Amino acid sequence: MDITRRELISTIAKTGVPAAVAVSIGAPSLHAETENIPVPSAAVGLLYDASICIGCKACESACAEANDTPPDTRGDALHQAPNDLNDLTRNIIKLYKPEDGSPASFVKRQCMHCLDPACAAGCPFQALHKDPETGIVSWTAEECIGCRYCTITCPYHVPRFQWQGYNPRVTKCELCSTRLEKGLRPGCTNVCPTGAVIFGPRTVLLEEAKQRIKKTPGKYYQERVYGEFDNGGTQSIYLSRVAFGKLGLPELGPESVPAKTLRWQRRLYQYFALPALLYVGLVQVIRKSLKGHEQEAHEREKETGLRAQL
Amino acid sequence: MSSTTLSNATASQAPINKTRWERAVPVYGVPVVNRAFIFLLGMTVLAFALTAYRELAGLGPVSGMNDAYGWGIWKTFNVMVLTALGSGAFAVGIAAWVFRRKKLHALMRMALLTSFLAYACGLLLLGIDAGRPWNFYWIVFPWKWNMHSPLAEVAICMSIYAMIPLALENIPPVLERLWYFDSRLRPGVERLERGLHKFFPWIIAAAYLLPGMHQSSLGALMLLAGERVHPLWQTPWLPFLYLGAATFMSFGCVAGTTMLCCTVYRRAMDMEVLDEAARITSWLIFGWLGWRLLDILFRGAFGTAFHLDRFAGVFWLEMSMISIGGWMLRRSLQTHETRSMFLGYVLSSVGGMIYRFSPTTLAFRANPESLYFPSAIEVLVSLGFICMGVAGFLLIVKRFGILPAPLQEWHDMASYFRFRRPYIRWTGYFKYGHFGEDESPDSD
Repeated sequence: MDITRRELISTIAKTGVPAAVAVSIGAPSLHAETENIPVPSAAVGLLYDASICIGCKACESACAEANDTPPDTRGDALHQAPNDLNDLTRNIIKLYKPEDGSPASFVKRQCMHCLDPACAAGCPFQALHKDPETGIVSWTAEECIGCRYCTITCPYHVPRFQWQGYNPRVTKCELCSTRLEKGLRPGCTNVCPTGAVIFGPRTVLLEEAKQRIKKTPGKYYQERVYGEFDNGGTQSIYLSRVAFGKLGLPELGPESVPAKTLRWQRRLYQYFALPALLYVGLVQVIRKSLKGHEQEAHEREKETGLRAQL
Repeated sequence: MSSTTLSNATASQAPINKTRWERAVPVYGVPVVNRAFIFLLGMTVLAFALTAYRELAGLGPVSGMNDAYGWGIWKTFNVMVLTALGSGAFAVGIAAWVFRRKKLHALMRMALLTSFLAYACGLLLLGIDAGRPWNFYWIVFPWKWNMHSPLAEVAICMSIYAMIPLALENIPPVLERLWYFDSRLRPGVERLERGLHKFFPWIIAAAYLLPGMHQSSLGALMLLAGERVHPLWQTPWLPFLYLGAATFMSFGCVAGTTMLCCTVYRRAMDMEVLDEAARITSWLIFGWLGWRLLDILFRGAFGTAFHLDRFAGVFWLEMSMISIGGWMLRRSLQTHETRSMFLGYVLSSVGGMIYRFSPTTLAFRANPESLYFPSAIEVLVSLGFICMGVAGFLLIVKRFGILPAPLQEWHDMASYFRFRRPYIRWTGYFKYGHFGEDESPDSD
């Protein structure tokens, strides 16, 4: 006794129709949702102009000092400059120098403080979260389970996990939020001798960056501020002479990574309505199957004299 | 009167089919503790010892994981791959209960057991892989959940699934064992069974909804990684394809394990049930392959399959293994060769395993460019937790009615125990003729 056509249709109807209805209701609002990511009211950030950075790395040591980071002496008890962001390095200066002699450039890498951060979108218990006012993306130890999903999701590869020790932490630039509370500027912007990295409200920084582009036409790559729209907009913004892609700032398009990839996921689990509908449909179908199955089992029990196994 | 004639007498009352799987019968007459079992336990103990070291030393010293590859084999193999193999309770269950493929009920207990063990071992290792596992307690505070995070969905949904619906679905064999154990327990056991059956539709439905959600969310995990996953794998359909791979892989795991056990323990194979499973599996495989190829074609990523790099190699390896496996299953339906059926299951499941494994490792384009290879300790812990599952399986299969068998097997078991353990007569184990014996009430 296989499933009849009638039963098959009703099964599909009971489970599938709610799904289709919910999806079709949800679909039109999908596009509206992704268009404008809200900018926090008091969004602060960094403006880094790669064209005036001299690569002195004063910001690296200032960052370590501001965050009370011990020297990295894991290799041979001597401290040496790190070659990438790591669990003791929130901020790093790198150099792009092509072989063919075309223009070289330094680049400062730290958290971009995205308007729609992928790390926070993936973080299971909101250990990484975006401050609703300042927009600073920070990490709290109390909620973090150490799953390292943030290190997989961040398109800029910023959060770093501490691989040693029983109590590992996730390290990333938090824009020196403790210093900001005291009325101080972030460590890196405090020491920069050329003013290559400056701190301020995001709107002011954007204005400043656009002024610089206007003043020196043809100087900056594509005459564009990286982070104004990229990845849905970031609060650390960049100006550069060389292509952003060369400096490790990928061209991600104007849509943020979470909005681009989790759109359907978000819609399908909205208010948990669709799973709940599906659940009720499944219960109805299974209730009927169970009745038939029990009946057959008990008939067989009488025939064989052996206790039914359900 | 000898027991053989007794069981034959009963058997003659019911229409009997020598190979039809009618009843789940424990594997009797085989010692639980043998050399293989001790080896498995040894591996498990070793894994727990290494786990203790890992908790003190951190993840760096014990694993090959690094900043570029934040996830190692513990997550990608033991959780992503093995829970796909352990989705039998979901895939076989949906076929049996929702689409009413009634023959598949014979495989359900195997499916439920393998699923439970795979999930339990996977979840344990997930806890060990987490850097700060003590913070898992947030799982009981729903307002702390990040409802849009695929990882939260996986962590929460998987633990709820394994601990509640899947565990409850596995209770009937335990109750059955108690029922046969002592006649004084029977009223209580029957009361419990009635209570359980009342909630069964709700439990079973949850046991299909939850894995459907988290097996697809395992695919959604890698959506956020964006372009770091090679275009042959990275697609908006990744959750759907992950779920699809889990369905045919788990069919392969359940049917393949059952066939293997039947061979090892010399049980008859019910070709009607196995054919049904193979037919469904082959359609799942071809549907999945078609969907994947169409998706790759429409996204215009098919050209990258012809580059000479590791991505193309892995892609063709998994695609050919899965399609050859599917073809062998189709062929076995015509030739009725269990060998090619078993090989078909193995090939397609291994291909599926590579597919589920790839996006986080083989097809993951790390940034900064770096290599990941699991360290010895990592492999030993991973194997140790698999060994724990296998040991549990061997123990349970020998003590509970899990493995399906023809009716005759049950009668044989009854005679075996009557002969070997006569005292069972007065514990009430064989009372009331439930082994098909017409004992009079005063005979004991």
